[in-house]
Amino acid sequence: MKIEHKIYLSNAVHILLIVLIGIFALQNLNQILTKFRFTVIAEGLNANFLEMRLAEKNYFLYGDDTALDNIRARIEQTSDTLLQVRGDITRAVGAEKYSELQGNLHVYTQLVDSISKARHRDAAAQKKLREAGQKLKTFSENITTLESDRIEAIIVRSKNILLYSFWAVVLFAFLFSNLIVRNIGQSLRKVVDLTRAISRGNYPKIEEKPSNDEMGAVISAISTMADELHNREKELVQSKRLASIGILVAGVAHELNNPLNNISMLAQTYAEVYDGLGKEDRIGFMERVDEEVERLRVIIRNLLDYAKPKEQHLAKATTNQVIQKILALVQNMLDISNIRIKLSLAEDLPDIYIDEHQIQQVLVNMATNAIQAMGKGGELRIASRYLPENEEIEIEIGDNGKGIAPEFLDHIFDPFFTTKEESGTGLGLWVSYGIIKNHQGNIRVASQVGVGTTFIITLPSCKKLKRCTDGEA
Amino acid sequence: MAKHSIMVIDDEKIVGDMAKLSFEQDGYEVETFLNGESALERLQEKRFDVVVTDLKMKGVDGLEVLRTVKKLYPGIKVIMITAFANLDVAIEALRDDVHDFFPKPVKIKELKASVQRALGEA
Repeated sequence: MKIEHKIYLSNAVHILLIVLIGIFALQNLNQILTKFRFTVIAEGLNANFLEMRLAEKNYFLYGDDTALDNIRARIEQTSDTLLQVRGDITRAVGAEKYSELQGNLHVYTQLVDSISKARHRDAAAQKKLREAGQKLKTFSENITTLESDRIEAIIVRSKNILLYSFWAVVLFAFLFSNLIVRNIGQSLRKVVDLTRAISRGNYPKIEEKPSNDEMGAVISAISTMADELHNREKELVQSKRLASIGILVAGVAHELNNPLNNISMLAQTYAEVYDGLGKEDRIGFMERVDEEVERLRVIIRNLLDYAKPKEQHLAKATTNQVIQKILALVQNMLDISNIRIKLSLAEDLPDIYIDEHQIQQVLVNMATNAIQAMGKGGELRIASRYLPENEEIEIEIGDNGKGIAPEFLDHIFDPFFTTKEESGTGLGLWVSYGIIKNHQGNIRVASQVGVGTTFIITLPSCKKLKRCTDGEA
Repeated sequence: MAKHSIMVIDDEKIVGDMAKLSFEQDGYEVETFLNGESALERLQEKRFDVVVTDLKMKGVDGLEVLRTVKKLYPGIKVIMITAFANLDVAIEALRDDVHDFFPKPVKIKELKASVQRALGEA
């Protein structure tokens, strides 16, 4: 469900709750009002009956005829009132009670009539009238009390229900906003993690199906973007490889041309001076031809090595051997630029589990950068060591070249970032970084302008990976 | 007629060896050098009629040899050979000063013809 819809739903629920509470409160208030009005009427009845009883007492005490008239007037009034509030009384105490009340009033009226006719005040009549009056009085007191109790009950119930609904609304709002916020928070954290990972050049696969809301849409979009970036990166790496193959081919053409030229000159001269050659000389010529062919074979093998596709082919390797191999590859550059090499390779390093070709590519890239940073003369330092606490191998490649300005240090692994004026594509270190990351390793750099630059590559050792040998423990 | 002397400089030993064999058979005097430094030293002592040099060499390269020759013996022709097949820019830059430019693999016949032209015997 979309967050938008969740919020709409929550608002709808809130509104519904408030409307229900409102309706309920209104109903209760209406009930209370009705009952309150009725209690006023009941109080009126009660007051009337009280007056009647007082008049009763007066009559019996003083024989005052006006007292009887007073009683009659009250009875009249009460009868009218009873007719008016018939519905209310029936509702409150039932039709039976109403009839009973009417009956009682009728009995009382007859008693008053007979007493006024007889004009005597005997004790029996007095007693009867008292009892009838008492009944009326009790009745009106009862319904007053009953209705008061009911009003109280309604108020208590309303209060409770309002209180509970208030807490329910508050709780619901709290839970819901919490849920939404947590939901969004989690999603945002996911987004942040994803974008961080992507900016570091990792392309995390999102396993779980993204939720069907806006955040899900954002995550899906980022996921799609990551895939696209990954594809672009692959294309770039491919084109970078093509470009470096181009550079390599130019270099290789030069390398190939020398032995080819040698073979060609050997052949031409052989034909030219054939008559003057002894058997030994001829064999010597052919041996030299064969040596040159061997040179060609080596160059072509290296070229084929480089042109291999960029899928990881992991195998166990020995760090120092890998370093020695790349030294052979950059030896020519070292000679041309007149650069010394200082090796400090640790003995007894645990093996590493790498795509040797890719790691060679990284080391050649680092060494080439170092050589270019030094120009003519200088010292290339290559060291290897083991860090037992992390079970990692460190390879250090350092130069005493011009160094990298601090403002560039953060960017040197970015794609297309280069400090070389003309020659750099700005992809070498980026590709290297990707390769090392794919090996669960890391690259650090330290540099000081005018002093030199040191790259430190860490790679997990076989000890750490626990999977260098298939089949063996 | 005194023998014409040719200086051949190339860090590929076979180039010097074969040039020496081939040119000596045609009656030239040939001295070979495996690097620019030793060739420059020799140039201080001796004037050659033609200098054939490789362009790309460690240390003193063909261009430096060319400059030194032009400085010491302005009339001497320098023939450049190189394993770089497509150094158009370099070739353009060198046009004026270089007598001839041969990409490897070199045809010895063409090289000889070029040497002869350089000596004014064409």
